[in-house]
Amino acid sequence: MLDTSRVQKELVECNRDTAISGVSIDLHDGANLTHLCGSISGPLGTPYEGGTFIIDIQLPSDYPFEPPKMQFITRVWHPNISSQNGAICLDILKDQWSPALTLKTALLSLQALLSAPAPDDPQDAVVAQQYLRDYQKFVGTARHWTETFAKIATVGIDEKVSKFVEMGFPEDLARSVLEAVKGDENAALEKLCSG
Amino acid sequence: MEEESLESSYHPSFQCCVCLDLLFKPVVLACGHMSCFWCVHKAMHVFRASHCAICRQPYIHFPSICQLLHLLVSKMEPVAYKRREKEVLEEESRRDVFSPQFNSLASESDQSEEVGLPNKGSLDISKEDVLCALCQDLLYRPTVLNCGHVFCESCLATIGSEALKCHVCQSMHPGEFPKICLDLDHVLEEQFPNEYATRRERLKQLEKVMLPCGGPSSSVSRNHISKDGHLWLDENLPKANVGVGCDSCGMYPIIGKRYKCKDCKEAIGFDLCESCYNTSSKLPGRFNQQHKPDHQFELDDSHMLYKILLLKSISMEEPYQDLYEDHVSVDETVDSNENIDSNNHTENGNS
Repeated sequence: MLDTSRVQKELVECNRDTAISGVSIDLHDGANLTHLCGSISGPLGTPYEGGTFIIDIQLPSDYPFEPPKMQFITRVWHPNISSQNGAICLDILKDQWSPALTLKTALLSLQALLSAPAPDDPQDAVVAQQYLRDYQKFVGTARHWTETFAKIATVGIDEKVSKFVEMGFPEDLARSVLEAVKGDENAALEKLCSG
Repeated sequence: MEEESLESSYHPSFQCCVCLDLLFKPVVLACGHMSCFWCVHKAMHVFRASHCAICRQPYIHFPSICQLLHLLVSKMEPVAYKRREKEVLEEESRRDVFSPQFNSLASESDQSEEVGLPNKGSLDISKEDVLCALCQDLLYRPTVLNCGHVFCESCLATIGSEALKCHVCQSMHPGEFPKICLDLDHVLEEQFPNEYATRRERLKQLEKVMLPCGGPSSSVSRNHISKDGHLWLDENLPKANVGVGCDSCGMYPIIGKRYKCKDCKEAIGFDLCESCYNTSSKLPGRFNQQHKPDHQFELDDSHMLYKILLLKSISMEEPYQDLYEDHVSVDETVDSNENIDSNNHTENGNS
């Protein structure tokens, strides 16, 4: 059975200093504490700067003794993150997990992973090869992906809707929510995530 | 929620890093980091070495609850500790496994409530609550042994023999010299600033007199034991009893022979590793079992990893092949002698 009191404490703790840390966690659907939605801002000085990356978080029933399952919903070009499905290759989410780590520290680690890719231990071999062989091209692609997928504010409402559809939300719902918040994608996402 | 507001936020040193709540029945690992009894136990690996949640130092012994800390936290944070006690007991009843119960505490706090003690605010703790069992002075740079007893680092270093043995309960401390429990140290310094400073001064002078040995902290490192122990566990993996711990020394999982009590009724059972079975001191069980000295033991290898793997007919790698075949034959010969052996054993202690 999930330790709900710990998860609730974690949520409060994490969202206390969102402005400084650049990471936040919201509920995905209503009161269900096993399915959460994390968000990290792209680190400055990287091709991910200016982007907001959404991460799907599933908590196994014996969390925190088992690691949380995390996956990028926002598409991202990074050697350790699958460009296809957002799967993450990070040791602390696997065998190096410790119950003293939290969702916040895990998200901060993902932020650090964006700053410091490890192409020798890749999740996405294509990205990793590009990173090693043609770094400039890699930076270009990663920046382009950030502009296209992680900066919903810069594109029109149709494109915003399609981004939300890509994240897995139904199109009608995404459109109506976006219209309700006058195109503010962060507010829309919050609404969508909190059900 | 209402209860929450009554609790003034508790001392940060007393937050468990696993449940993020107030420490309840604290257990201190050899690395000096502490968690709740159940938080440590649940985080332990069922057939491999476990690692500290904070520093990842490996360990294979589940330490006993540190009663000194247990009393200290319950005195300093009476309201929150009582809430934790209630919550944990509810969960334990649901799962029908129990942590060691300390009656004294419950009755004590009940009384205090009846007397009408103000709900918030902690009881005064006195120096008597935090004495070193060796020097009988305020603990200074405290270290906690596997049995849960607390000593000054410098006092423990004076024991100095190859193996560490607790002066209070006489149980052996497995593995390396324990590191200082810094969280407790901070609380001591904060609660008893004057005494703590005196202790520090006196120790400094002592060190000057004793000269080049460089103080206690640098000398008595038994690092190699833990490293060997770790390797030893890896090599003996097929002989690990999955999910079964020794109720005396706390080894979890038990490696090698496992002696199971035939008379304990509790679902979790009462088990001993070979070396604890062969020594006279039998502590009470780790999970509040009502184990009695006249109970009988039997050898039980049903949880041995290699047996489980055999049953599941998972093909083992070559190097293990001879290891477990070897072991089966040894076990059978022992089994036949076992009944006589265990009969003799129960009252062997005095000889």
